[in-house]
Amino acid sequence: MRIAAAAAWAGMRAEALQLRRSPLVVGLACVQAITFLVLVSLFGLTGSRAPTGLVDLDHSALAEHLVADISAAHHSFGLHRMDGRTADAELRRGNLAAVITIPAGFGAAVVRGDTVAIPVAVDNVDADLTDDVQRALPSAITAFGQELGLANIRLRPAELDLVDHDTDFIPYLVISALALDALVVSGVLAALAVAREFEGGTARVLALSPVHPLAPIAGRVVTTGAVSLVALLITWALVVVGYGVTPTHPAEMALGLAGCVVIFSCVGVAIGTLIRRTLPVTALVFGVALPLYIDSGSLEPERFDGNVIWALAHFSPVYYAVGVLEDAAHGLRVTPEPAWLDMLALLAWAALAIMVAWRVLRRGVTA
Amino acid sequence: MPAPDPSPAIHLDAVSCRAGGRDVLDRVTLNIARGSVTGVLGSNGAGKSTLVSLITGLRRSSAGGATVLGEHLPARGTSLRRRIGVVLQETALYEELTAAENLQFAASLYGVPDPRRRIAEVLDLLGLAGRAGDLVSALSGGMRRRVAIARALLHDPELLVVDEPTLGVDVDARHAIWSHIRLLRARGTTVVVATNYLDEAEALCDIVAVLREGRLVAYETPAQLVARAGRCIDIDCEPDAIELVGQAVSGLHGVLRVDATPSGAAVFLHGDTPADEVVRTVLREAPVGGFRVRAADLAEVFHALSAAPATT
Repeated sequence: MRIAAAAAWAGMRAEALQLRRSPLVVGLACVQAITFLVLVSLFGLTGSRAPTGLVDLDHSALAEHLVADISAAHHSFGLHRMDGRTADAELRRGNLAAVITIPAGFGAAVVRGDTVAIPVAVDNVDADLTDDVQRALPSAITAFGQELGLANIRLRPAELDLVDHDTDFIPYLVISALALDALVVSGVLAALAVAREFEGGTARVLALSPVHPLAPIAGRVVTTGAVSLVALLITWALVVVGYGVTPTHPAEMALGLAGCVVIFSCVGVAIGTLIRRTLPVTALVFGVALPLYIDSGSLEPERFDGNVIWALAHFSPVYYAVGVLEDAAHGLRVTPEPAWLDMLALLAWAALAIMVAWRVLRRGVTA
Repeated sequence: MPAPDPSPAIHLDAVSCRAGGRDVLDRVTLNIARGSVTGVLGSNGAGKSTLVSLITGLRRSSAGGATVLGEHLPARGTSLRRRIGVVLQETALYEELTAAENLQFAASLYGVPDPRRRIAEVLDLLGLAGRAGDLVSALSGGMRRRVAIARALLHDPELLVVDEPTLGVDVDARHAIWSHIRLLRARGTTVVVATNYLDEAEALCDIVAVLREGRLVAYETPAQLVARAGRCIDIDCEPDAIELVGQAVSGLHGVLRVDATPSGAAVFLHGDTPADEVVRTVLREAPVGGFRVRAADLAEVFHALSAAPATT
């Protein structure tokens, strides 16, 4: 037992030395975690704040009021005031998604109670963006009508919020991205550490030694897990500082991330053992990561995607990870299951992952 | 001082190993004496590495019995592994670690007491003291091989098993490794060397086991093997005269075979066959520039054994 502990320690130390001498690998692993934040942020940006030209030919107080309501339409328009000629040119160049024109005499017509046509030119190259513009503009006009008490506006939405605060799309995405970070960083580092043992033949040296070969390999994976955790903590700090997302429950966040590191390190161990080569490891971890990430509630609560996909998501640890992390960061319940159950499921996944990785590794090393 | 153990270091009794639906070792029986250097010789696929894997416990036999250092295989527990050092065909070192760090890691696996002192000892023994701090990735093939041997010696094993000790190393490193193995023999360590190189077996080994297609075809000293193969007459002649030489000696008593060589032909004679009659016949029947009578070398022995039908 004492020798096994010494061997595990030796494995940890050897891995730390090897990683220290491969600073580019470690550096890129940390950068990779951050680039995922950038990735999902850009992804989030593509779905909101469509660049829209605003041509105000009226310049009345009511026109200004309408402009304010259009700007306030939830994350739909990034308004840019300009003249009609420039707006038309920019739209044709592809720099604008739409041009809204407030016609001359708009304010006077509204006061008279006349119907006013508001021309909207849309670049419908992206149907999704076009739909957003089409949906958001009526809601802005409705808000405008209600605020002015216009007679023909009868719509009155009575919204009952489930959560006492709104969470913007990008802050939602960057938290689920932490689960993806954990999967990729922990998975890749652990898989590389294990695959290297087989590729270099050192697994046979371990198998010939009096200590069980799993002891030093476990030590190595502890080191890669620690490095992954540091990478995640750096990324988390960036989420707090850069995105202004201060976790509601920091302890839950830390435990959730640690659970992710354990699970995905074990996934990496299994992949490394089965593949036994370092070259395809990264691509395969990505291949495993992306479907698990997308089917996890990373973009929206998974139950919104239909019952079949939602049911399948229950087999993925990322589903529970996103449930825990969104609760910890924003106090959001993105799964129908309570947060404590998500945490329990995540920890059960960690225990299961350790057992499976241990078994796969044992068979791999002694085969 | 305890009396030396008279039992063999390794005893294999009709051991077979199956893989891929065929016997990679087929009823191999041999005893390896303690303190000897034994060569396991054979062409690629003959079963050398399988034999090494069997002895070191990496592989189980499908039939027969095996005893290593008095313990029956498969050994229970880990005590046997503490008594064996293995140098695998691939050096299997961590490239991003230094030679000393690799040994430090291995020392932890074997629970080597006072590892710092022992590492310095083995590095010194193998002439690596000055390269202890070098990354393995910066070492030459020969140096890496020596680090691998140093690793196998760290725990002072009773039995050292070396698979292809000089594979891919230059001439100087080769001789350095040979001298280390001789030194180990002098210290009483039993050494098993699996090799493709005949000169290596001849230079190092007290006894040689020749494997062919998984079967043991000879187990004798290098000298006995050479004696068994008899003598050889090297004949200098033009290529078109080789056939005449073959025809001239084909019916003579004691002639084993005739091989073409770069300088003409080589006639192999059974051990006690006088060369005079063969030489006279060749000189009479074929245009020959000269001849030389010599003992067969191990390469020729191995060639003859490989061509002969395998026996158990």
